[in-house]
Amino acid sequence: MKWNIPSLEELEDVVWKCTACGNCKTTYNFGPPPTYGEICPSGVEFGFEGYMASKGKISFARGILDGQLEWTPEFVDAIYKCTVCGGCQNQCELDHKPFIPEIIEAMRRKAVEDGVGPMPTQKVIAQSMRSFNNPYQGPRRVRTDWTRPFKKAKQPIKNIMKEDAPILYYVGCTGAFNLPVRNLPVATASIFRKLGLDFGILGENEICCGSTAMRLGDVDEFKRVAETNMKIFKDLHDNHGVETIITSCAGCYRAIKKDYTLSENYEEYLGDIKIIHTTDFLYKYFKEDKLKFTKEVPWKVTYHDPCHTGRHLLEYSIDEDGSQQWKGSYLGKSEDNCLYDIPREMLKAIPGIEFNEMERIRNNSYCCGGGGGVMTGYGDWAAKNAGIRIQEGMDTGADQMVSICPFCHYNLNEGAKRIKSDMKLYDLVELIDMAL
Amino acid sequence: MTGMSKETKVDPLITKRLCEIVGDKNATDMKHVRYAYSYDLSFVKPKLPDYVVMPTEVEQIQEVMKFANEEKIPVIPYTAGTNIGGLCIPEQGGILLDLKRMNKIIRIDEESHYAILEPGVSHAQFASALAKYNLRWSWPVGPPSASTSSNAICHGIGGLSGRYGLNSEEITSMEVVLPTGELVRVGSCAIQEDAWHSCLPLPRVDGLFTGWLGTTGVITKIGLRVHPTPPILKVFTTSADTLGDMGAYLRNLGNYEICDDLTGVSWWLSQVPIPYPYKPKPEEAPEWISFATTFSWTEKEKEAREEIWKMVMDEEIKKGSSLKETVYPEEALKARTQLPSQIVGSTKNYTKQAGAGISWPGTFTPLNKWEPVYDEWKKILIDRNLSPAVRVTNYRGVHYGMLRAMIPFPKKEPASVENARQAIVDCLKVDLDNGGIPYKPPVDFGIEINKRAQQGYVELLKKIKLMLDPNDIMNTDKLAL
Repeated sequence: MKWNIPSLEELEDVVWKCTACGNCKTTYNFGPPPTYGEICPSGVEFGFEGYMASKGKISFARGILDGQLEWTPEFVDAIYKCTVCGGCQNQCELDHKPFIPEIIEAMRRKAVEDGVGPMPTQKVIAQSMRSFNNPYQGPRRVRTDWTRPFKKAKQPIKNIMKEDAPILYYVGCTGAFNLPVRNLPVATASIFRKLGLDFGILGENEICCGSTAMRLGDVDEFKRVAETNMKIFKDLHDNHGVETIITSCAGCYRAIKKDYTLSENYEEYLGDIKIIHTTDFLYKYFKEDKLKFTKEVPWKVTYHDPCHTGRHLLEYSIDEDGSQQWKGSYLGKSEDNCLYDIPREMLKAIPGIEFNEMERIRNNSYCCGGGGGVMTGYGDWAAKNAGIRIQEGMDTGADQMVSICPFCHYNLNEGAKRIKSDMKLYDLVELIDMAL
Repeated sequence: MTGMSKETKVDPLITKRLCEIVGDKNATDMKHVRYAYSYDLSFVKPKLPDYVVMPTEVEQIQEVMKFANEEKIPVIPYTAGTNIGGLCIPEQGGILLDLKRMNKIIRIDEESHYAILEPGVSHAQFASALAKYNLRWSWPVGPPSASTSSNAICHGIGGLSGRYGLNSEEITSMEVVLPTGELVRVGSCAIQEDAWHSCLPLPRVDGLFTGWLGTTGVITKIGLRVHPTPPILKVFTTSADTLGDMGAYLRNLGNYEICDDLTGVSWWLSQVPIPYPYKPKPEEAPEWISFATTFSWTEKEKEAREEIWKMVMDEEIKKGSSLKETVYPEEALKARTQLPSQIVGSTKNYTKQAGAGISWPGTFTPLNKWEPVYDEWKKILIDRNLSPAVRVTNYRGVHYGMLRAMIPFPKKEPASVENARQAIVDCLKVDLDNGGIPYKPPVDFGIEINKRAQQGYVELLKKIKLMLDPNDIMNTDKLAL
């Protein structure tokens, strides 16, 4: 397959669009009343300008491109100390705005290409991907451990390679291998069952979506698993009746929905398949009154917007030919794909739920700290940052936090433990399953 | 992995001592960290600091200054680096003192209308905190992440300057670490530790630290006068074919001192963004547009302001002025009235089309000199294919005026940067020769200022600088003395 994944050198023109104005360093809205908040986990933790938001990361890119900066172990470390959350991107108003995460990842791709990246702990992921097709060093057979309750109840979940179904539930590695998150696929499958849906899973044949590899700059590994997945998905569509792929993982969703489109063959392989996040999928049933909440969940909750189901799905319009403003100018953004209102609407509809918003939400949500390979590379910092977010949730008066990403789920729970908070992170599907 | 070539000036023993003062995580000599501080938005040539230090306490700053003074190492104070005059780019290397982590709002006195801030407090942070008390500050058209105290001590301006003057005129007290490490206070807090309300009626020694571009000390706390926010906003927008007509109107209306902000902008500056390269103004478009921002407590007060404005309009039109009531472009007007703003200044509407670079001849120029200076600026800028994106603003009624041109340029192209630099310096020379004075001047401007300065004035500056900074370590060479 041919991929259009740009190198840092190919992004040089947009790198030079950054003024270093520092707009990206904090969230701010005029209001009234005006609101302000920190937005960059890396800037909050490390402080120096180079670590601060896109202004800093682009200084690194600029330094590489103008020959001033060469790789040192500390410099490589610095480019990986970023959650690639896109919080800075949301503040920027200049023409390089649509490319900010791309620039950061292009630096990492260069580091990998030059043999200096990723960081040693992250290399374990790369090795695990090659050996196990997942970043958790999990043996294939463990992938289906979460299905045991269904087997035990003599209602096993279909293996879609053996039994056709119109819906593929793509579980994702975190839900399958990460023990504290395992209730997420259980709840998802339970809801699907309660809705009477005909669905199946790839089971032991599921492989990683490639998101982690892409975030770390390991483009070859990303392409390997992405191409394999695209071929599997096409085969499932052509030969096993799959029309829809549902995933509960924000990272998988972002990868399949966005990163895979960098392949020139995307339409050929996935053009006829609907890719949808569980939350979005369930919303249709909710609106049709088929998802009826009959049980009370008497909890005070707040909601954390994951980066990958939020601002990473913003669609940017660019004046490609210069016919509207000038060639390459950033024209605007659309939130149509971002899952902001849908999870909140369903959450608030659950009987007994008392909902409180945090200050930094939606496009300005404060990253949990787990993205961009940080949870693997810098676990202590990831948990520390998650503690900041948990505290923000607690400050609303909520007892529990809800989200729709297994990565956020794991990391925020780590953060809660770190600050000795009783607050727990639940996935929205867990609450929905409890209410059905 | 190839090694980074070490800068010759970096001394690991100095780094070690700095780490001892502020902690290992807050001091470094690593090049990738220093590189991010080597440039800003301006045309000023990038230069690296040798060390970067992030203090979190006043005592740490004192220790850093004592050490730097002993070792004769330059120190460059830095808050957000958002100025467009290269003011934080080290001329002689040295220690870059990044103050962003000293960002507490120590007090907002809602009764006496002043606040005490640390240097790292941003406009965004301050705006959000003040709004809870229905208070406001004179927000500049800079990024919300810019530092409020740096703006004030560098004679920055803002949306209330038409009424109250420069932001430095709102300073009520200061705490400063001198280049030799001593901690001093000026203003009422010098007499009673907890009194931060006024610099007067004491001798105005706050002037030792304002307008000196970080060359006389490190401000660690600042008291600032803040103002209540009246609920009713009314903006009067007018156009005129010439700066002569616009200037006459601004002077006339300015006499009544009813506006928080009274500004005229050339057609090129009213565009979002500024056209780059230069493009001619459509023939039918007026060359000047103005906005007069007023806030009132009651409808009657607003109507009274409206009455005055109409009277001024009538007077000017009777004189044969081309003045007309007009509609200011919506986004541009929003950018002027909804401050601080993410879409103005050095961010979206100024630099976007050119690509990354922005600098200015930013000056205080008497109102009656605006027109001749503008005519020459226009010629200089158009000759260099740059838009004459010029702004004129009254301060404190008609007491003095600001005249500046915002010049975007593509940072990627060295020839274009140099073209803009030459244009800007040429414009500055014209302004200086007409009695204007640049504010927040880069070194290129300082050279031109000092060429024209009375010798006694220059000697006085040198004596003061020597008294405060005997080893000339604070932002060395930034004043081009």
